[in-house]
Amino acid sequence: MTADAFLFWFLAILTLGGALSVILMANPIYSALSLAFTMICLAGVFVSLNAYFIAGVQAIVYAGAVTVLFVMVLMLFDLKHEGKPFSPGVASNALKLVFLGIFSGLLIGVLMISHFFAEIDVTDKAQLPQEGSRALGVALFQRHLFSFEALGVLLLIVAVGTVSLARSKGGTHAKH
Amino acid sequence: MGNDFFEITVNAIKLVVIFLMIVQAVPLLVWVERRGSAFIQNRLGPNRVGPLGLIQLLADAVKFLGKEDAPPNKAVKLLYYTAPVFALIPGAIAYCAIPLSTPISVEAFDFFGRHFGPYRFAMQGYDINIGIVFILGISSLAAYTILMAGWGSGNKYALMGALRASAQIISYELALGLSIVGVILLYGTFNLTEMIAAQSGPLAFRWGSNQYVFSFLPNWGIFFQPVGALIFFAAAFAESNRLPFDLAEGEAELVAGFHTEYGGFKMLMFFIGEYAHMMIASGLVVTFFLGGYLIPGFTVDEIKNWVGTFINNGTAVSAVVCAFHLLSYLLKLTFLMWVFIWIRWTLPRFRYDQLMDLGWKTMLPWALGNTIITAGLIYWSYQ
Amino acid sequence: MPLGGILFLAIFIGAFGTFLIYLARFTGGGLKTGRGVKFETYECGLPAEEKNDTKVSVKFYLTGILFILFDIEIIFMYPWAVTFKDFLQNGTGLYVLGAMGFFLLVFIFGLFWEIKSKALDWD
Repeated sequence: MTADAFLFWFLAILTLGGALSVILMANPIYSALSLAFTMICLAGVFVSLNAYFIAGVQAIVYAGAVTVLFVMVLMLFDLKHEGKPFSPGVASNALKLVFLGIFSGLLIGVLMISHFFAEIDVTDKAQLPQEGSRALGVALFQRHLFSFEALGVLLLIVAVGTVSLARSKGGTHAKH
Repeated sequence: MGNDFFEITVNAIKLVVIFLMIVQAVPLLVWVERRGSAFIQNRLGPNRVGPLGLIQLLADAVKFLGKEDAPPNKAVKLLYYTAPVFALIPGAIAYCAIPLSTPISVEAFDFFGRHFGPYRFAMQGYDINIGIVFILGISSLAAYTILMAGWGSGNKYALMGALRASAQIISYELALGLSIVGVILLYGTFNLTEMIAAQSGPLAFRWGSNQYVFSFLPNWGIFFQPVGALIFFAAAFAESNRLPFDLAEGEAELVAGFHTEYGGFKMLMFFIGEYAHMMIASGLVVTFFLGGYLIPGFTVDEIKNWVGTFINNGTAVSAVVCAFHLLSYLLKLTFLMWVFIWIRWTLPRFRYDQLMDLGWKTMLPWALGNTIITAGLIYWSYQ
Repeated sequence: MPLGGILFLAIFIGAFGTFLIYLARFTGGGLKTGRGVKFETYECGLPAEEKNDTKVSVKFYLTGILFILFDIEIIFMYPWAVTFKDFLQNGTGLYVLGAMGFFLLVFIFGLFWEIKSKALDWD
């Protein structure tokens, strides 16, 4: 086993473990912290694929911004005394199991089909571009310019929506 | 980390040494802070234990060893104990990505009959391609330690302090991230070593087809990005939670903020984390704006040639050159650390609304303006 | 490849910190979950209040969400900043400047709308 393969398997196990503990932890704060851990490990997986800039963005946006907000909100609600990870009730549990089965069946099916029937372009890692961030910048302004600008407008709309929600009636900072 | 056993060992030792350097710098900085604050406030400061009070640090360490470990009953023990350990990790990992000096090239040698090929050891923990994005990403994880400590203590003052601290950190991260855009525009790279290489030689800028050279000034980033440097330094202050931005531990309102319930070594670990963030901020300011490890007036090649007239061995030459540049880097770093301490004991604390206003309404628009003007100037200079 | 170094350092620091905590517990007296006042949360000498969940201003959440939005916009400026000189050299500088100008315009509009609508005011 080479060092690269070892690092990949190590990170893969950490990522999966973190993701599993997100759904298995009874305490929502531990779930949110596990989510943060999963995000950081995912950034590590991106690094192992030479996608350095994407790894940085993963760490800054997902681990450093989105999940911090989750953790902050959960800590303020003080859900320390939340009971079990799964709610009781036969009907809801049966429904959960059904959807779990459908979802995992889909995943496994896609993997099997792509493995046996489709031609996968497995690029050797050594051939991946080293200067990924530069290529990303070029692609962003040539092929994906419209999505890039649309994203700016979308973020503005989200910001406006958030502010109006926070100022709506009933809040501590509502307009009187 | 390397291709053979020797290289991996050296790189691992290098990482450990850099981490221990951060840990070792903390008692010294605490001493400088105590004596410096006493100097600024016209007092004497701790001067009883040893010459100039230097042994005080050792006495402190012994005191930490004697502290009883008494977590409050309401604390969530797992988070209460892991938070100080996690406080050490992001700071040290981010600091290891900052280049400290020129690389040491070791020529091929034979040892016990085995041949060891030529090596090149960069004087930084790891040479990561996207240096600045990596450092931003890793140091933004510091908010977790604060939240974990604040919530895990089971104390409402700690929770309020953690909330304030994390809101402050994320607010100033925007100004910090935006002030770097000007720097990236200027150098056209994320890599810190390439940024430093771009700052060697005398101050020179091009405007259209003309080239202007000021031979008496070094080609440092601060002459191209003065506003960016100011915003970056101020935002870095807020990131490291120090006065005048230490609302998280405003003792008049919140006892001691998120580390109210901590004592002994656990408290010390939060301190190490805070000082590590100070060192990252100073190191980044040095790298972006003050020419990194470069010695003003001389390029790396000039110094290499000069050393080469005394020593013949290639390995020794690169080691001596590395030592010179390390000294230059440490001098700049020490100066900025002193500025940190100096400002801490000079300025009063902000009010919380003033703090948030400064971050969102003053520094963010200024950083935005800086970005636009930099982009415009670079565009016109290429016409 | 720096990944091995990062992982090594993280594990080393974790072990170092854990060792320090256990060392301090060994030398300074162990974990005594007793009753006394010492093990209550610190509240400036007053008896500790039972309730732990304080109502928090919605401003903190608003700050958090606005931070995420602006953070994403700033992250998108990085690939532009790093390739701007390349675009200038191959002659498409004006096009990229215009494309980014529109993005920045939206950003500036958002920022100043938020300042004007007093969403960023603390009282």
